[in-house]
Amino acid sequence: MEEFVGSDEMILHLGPQHPMQPGPFRLNLKLKGETVVDADLEIGFIHKGIEKILENRTYLQGITIVDRICYLVALSNEECFVGCVEKLAGIEVPERSQYIRVIMGELTRIQSHLLGMGEFGEFIGFVSMFMYTIKEREEILSLIDMVTGARITHAYLRFGGVREDLPEGFKEKALPVLNSLKKTIDDYEEMFHTDSIYRERTVGVGTLTADSAKALGVSGPALRATGVDFDIRKAEPYLVYNDLDFKVCTETAGDIFARIQVRLNEIRESIYILEQCLDQIPSGPLFPENTPYGRRTPVMRVPAGEVFHRVEDPRGEMGMYMISDGSDKPYRVKVRGPFFPTLQALPPLIIGTTVADVAAISGSMDGCTSEADR
Amino acid sequence: MDAKTIIESLTREFPEAVSKPEIESEIRIWAYVDWAKTKEVCQFLKDSLQFDHLSNLSGVDYPKRNEMEVVYHIASYAHPVVLMLKAVLSRADPKVESVVPVYWNANWYERETYELYGIVFENHPDLRALLLPEEMLGEWPLRKDYEGFPNKTARNLV
Repeated sequence: MEEFVGSDEMILHLGPQHPMQPGPFRLNLKLKGETVVDADLEIGFIHKGIEKILENRTYLQGITIVDRICYLVALSNEECFVGCVEKLAGIEVPERSQYIRVIMGELTRIQSHLLGMGEFGEFIGFVSMFMYTIKEREEILSLIDMVTGARITHAYLRFGGVREDLPEGFKEKALPVLNSLKKTIDDYEEMFHTDSIYRERTVGVGTLTADSAKALGVSGPALRATGVDFDIRKAEPYLVYNDLDFKVCTETAGDIFARIQVRLNEIRESIYILEQCLDQIPSGPLFPENTPYGRRTPVMRVPAGEVFHRVEDPRGEMGMYMISDGSDKPYRVKVRGPFFPTLQALPPLIIGTTVADVAAISGSMDGCTSEADR
Repeated sequence: MDAKTIIESLTREFPEAVSKPEIESEIRIWAYVDWAKTKEVCQFLKDSLQFDHLSNLSGVDYPKRNEMEVVYHIASYAHPVVLMLKAVLSRADPKVESVVPVYWNANWYERETYELYGIVFENHPDLRALLLPEEMLGEWPLRKDYEGFPNKTARNLV
């Protein structure tokens, strides 16, 4: 940002600690009256050096580390990391484990979207929204807790399978929760569509067009809200997503309202996927037969090679680039999180808007600074 | 558009700058690229082959070969192929042409790779530290011979 500040201009530092942010980053705004004329972003306040740590840990220890990239979507991060190793080592995952992974992935998506919407409500002054969604999210977290034994950092996936089978009576516990969530989503939708203040804060604000979203590298719900039906689950199917029936939720407006609408529809779609999985899940072993990999993987050596594996994170495209040199530790892991490019696109989005809209726009991206900083 | 067509048109357009193409699978292809030509190659990929999405950009350090690599993963919204481009750099003077004029979101990836590896991206609009504090610039923490900061005690870990 330019040093010179004119007589009717001022610099406003938003952050690093600010109640209207999903995590610590600093937004330097140059204001002219109420209008943002220039913006600059500083990140790195919670840089953890995860890529360096992964180079110094065995593959099995790595699962615990990638949980901490972003604790909200820990199971997505694990899916990506474990998927990389499985591709390198050529491990086939048994079907039952694949279904369990899809179930956990979709539960993660639901709880992440719920928290994202609640936080967003808080950012625009609709504080009750957080109370509503956090209650539903806790029900979903209890389901995840039943299976993995933890609410947010699970260390649940293993190379070629999962650590534990679904507990007895999981389906009977899950279906009522999903049914009540369906009704709640309808309630949220009605609330959003009829509340005039909410509509005033969101409709036509922070608009992205399909071309600008592609050029800025934005992915996930923010991209799909502009009408681009890009979803890794369809573009590059992993696990059993090919056998499941679901559609990619898109909107055309590209504004904040459309982004929230995409998340609502995606929760519905995830519930539909979960119902299919709970019906179709076959019985069978959790790990492939005749492999050394299992629940307690011994020190494993992964064949030398390189792989770039992508999964659909609740926030968009999550990818990992892994290089193995044949030893028991990865030579290099590059984590390509979905929020890193989305956060980068924030300054061009907010230039020209008013200060009041800055929090709404950054909140609608459903961010996790922890993952951008790694 | 399938993997074979892409490789063929890429090597026809850049017979010298692009080398050692390889088709790993239907949706993953590799090629090596001359470090001074990355911008031209990316421009061609974006304009003619619909590679309009820079998915990932990372650096890799190979001290045994005395080389560094910058790896581009370029994807598309129109077709499922992901192209992995590798630029091999000398470890003594690692520099590569910036692709920010072609892919806007390369900006932060290149700043990150610069501060973690010391790879200089020529003609980058704003090459400075992104994640690390300014006093760590010059430590290059993701290089394999990094010894820790400020205490040089990480030697045994690597």
